[in-house]
Amino acid sequence: MDDRTHSWLRPLVAVFVGAVFFLPLYLVVVNVFKPGADIVPHPAALPLPPTLDNIGAVLSRPDNLFTFGLINSIAVTALSITILTVLSAMLGHYLARSKRVLAKVAMVTLLCGLMIPVPVILEPITGVLKTLGLMTSLQGLVLVNVGYYVPFGVLLFMGFVRSVPLELEEAAELDGASKLRVFWQVVFPLLRPASASVLIFLGVWIWNDFLTPLILLGPDSGTTVTVGVYRAIGQHQSDFGAVFAFMFLATLPILVFYLALQKNFVKGLTGGAVKG
Amino acid sequence: MTEIQHGTRGEVDPAAPRQSPSHGGPRQRSAATRRRASARIGPKLGRFGLFALPGLVAYVVFVLIPIGMTGYYSFTNRNPFNPPTKWVGLRNYGDLVGDQEFRQALVNTVIIAVIVTVFANVGGLLIAMLLDRPTKLYVALRGVFFTPVVLSAVVISVIWQAVLTDDGLLNSLLRGLGVDHPPGWLSDPDLALYSIAWIITWQMLGFCVVVYLAGLQGVPRELQEAASIDGAGRLARFRNVTWPMLAPALTINTVMLLITGFKAYDQIQVITNGGPGTGTTSTMAFQVVQTAFNGNHIGYSSAMAAVMLVLVATVSVIVLRLLQRREVTQ
Repeated sequence: MDDRTHSWLRPLVAVFVGAVFFLPLYLVVVNVFKPGADIVPHPAALPLPPTLDNIGAVLSRPDNLFTFGLINSIAVTALSITILTVLSAMLGHYLARSKRVLAKVAMVTLLCGLMIPVPVILEPITGVLKTLGLMTSLQGLVLVNVGYYVPFGVLLFMGFVRSVPLELEEAAELDGASKLRVFWQVVFPLLRPASASVLIFLGVWIWNDFLTPLILLGPDSGTTVTVGVYRAIGQHQSDFGAVFAFMFLATLPILVFYLALQKNFVKGLTGGAVKG
Repeated sequence: MTEIQHGTRGEVDPAAPRQSPSHGGPRQRSAATRRRASARIGPKLGRFGLFALPGLVAYVVFVLIPIGMTGYYSFTNRNPFNPPTKWVGLRNYGDLVGDQEFRQALVNTVIIAVIVTVFANVGGLLIAMLLDRPTKLYVALRGVFFTPVVLSAVVISVIWQAVLTDDGLLNSLLRGLGVDHPPGWLSDPDLALYSIAWIITWQMLGFCVVVYLAGLQGVPRELQEAASIDGAGRLARFRNVTWPMLAPALTINTVMLLITGFKAYDQIQVITNGGPGTGTTSTMAFQVVQTAFNGNHIGYSSAMAAVMLVLVATVSVIVLRLLQRREVTQ
């Protein structure tokens, strides 16, 4: 291959393109640990010596915008993805196996839901939540997340269920296991790669959601960290150190979550991608 | 056991639709087994109630019913602060036709969707080909490109605002290089929309890289070598061997990017608030939210939302069909 003639070129180009691409993120990370006064004159300089003042300021905000937001985000994301994984695994399993017309109709309807942008349904959702008495509550936000993201979970699980041999389920049934038990003890464990993908995809998406929590949690009650970033820039637009530190802290949990499960994530993503 | 009773009853259960008898061999057998199995759990809903209902109920309550409400509201003058709500027929839709702001939002949305789809696809493919090597350096670089995909659009927006604002990091750099009047990336009405499109492209690039890399790794090495022995040059090998095999990856990326572009909201809300000037960077999603939650004109915003939904759905389905047909023929 002609690779050998340019063997030095590829890594050089790759590193250069990667560095240029990464520059904006580099600027955030170095400036989090830099005193506020140094940021504008020396934006790209390394933070030497590094300071934790910006991070300290975010953590000790008198309005607790970060701390309360963090607790809310963790609660909403953890609850939503747990419920979503279980419900969409059950629904996806049923839809992949069932030959009933009702199941086909449900499947097509769910797939249509993948294309629906949030703004289209957001105002009526506030109406539904008010009727249920769940507007501006974390429970309401969790339920909306479950309804909105269930099509995606079902899509991922349906593909995986088809790779689970039906004979396994039939054998367990012959041994006298109930449907629910077959699902929990035979099918669900085999769906683990799909569950990992659903957890990571939806964990990242729900953590990063902006418009839905902005409207559904309202201005009065606590908000999520992602909305918190938006609130924080409104207050001190020019204080880059404080804003960057807020973003850094708001991103850290989901980045760690993602890195911890990354291997499954790319596998799940590409599994779906290549098989189409 | 009750299961056995239900099993016999299941054979005549009218709620379980029959497979057409045309299916042959093993398939028919497993369908029959399944039918018996699903009937065993008993009454009409069977497994549907147990397994399907919880997820479906959430979907119906928080997606389907709201869609129906949006559709209904679009024919009314609904405004919670100005009751009563009256049926106005197609008036909202008629008003939309002459609404200059909405038309601009629609055009802006299409521009963003096209730019994001084209540039993230092209850039993603080029970078994927650059990184399609198994050594540690390239694996690490994949992580670099994928990082923005994991971050929230709000965070990305704030970062790029700091870079692109008039006295931002990019313009300080340009001034340092001797450019006296660097462009107002976000303050120039002719430029701001393209800056927004660029920011979304930058964030989505890593997604395309990963999907294309997966596609590239599915191209059999023997095929490349065979083509190479037959005297095919680099370009010919790409056109005739690699590119056709990337068709499924292209489908996924294009549909994903189109939908992302069409629903662009966060970047506008965080960075430009629709400006500079009136609506130069406003998108359909932004216009819908502004009209609904700041103007409280729910009837009118619902008509916008309906137009947006129909547009997104039509374009995605058409593009999906076209690209999938291409996958089959190649």
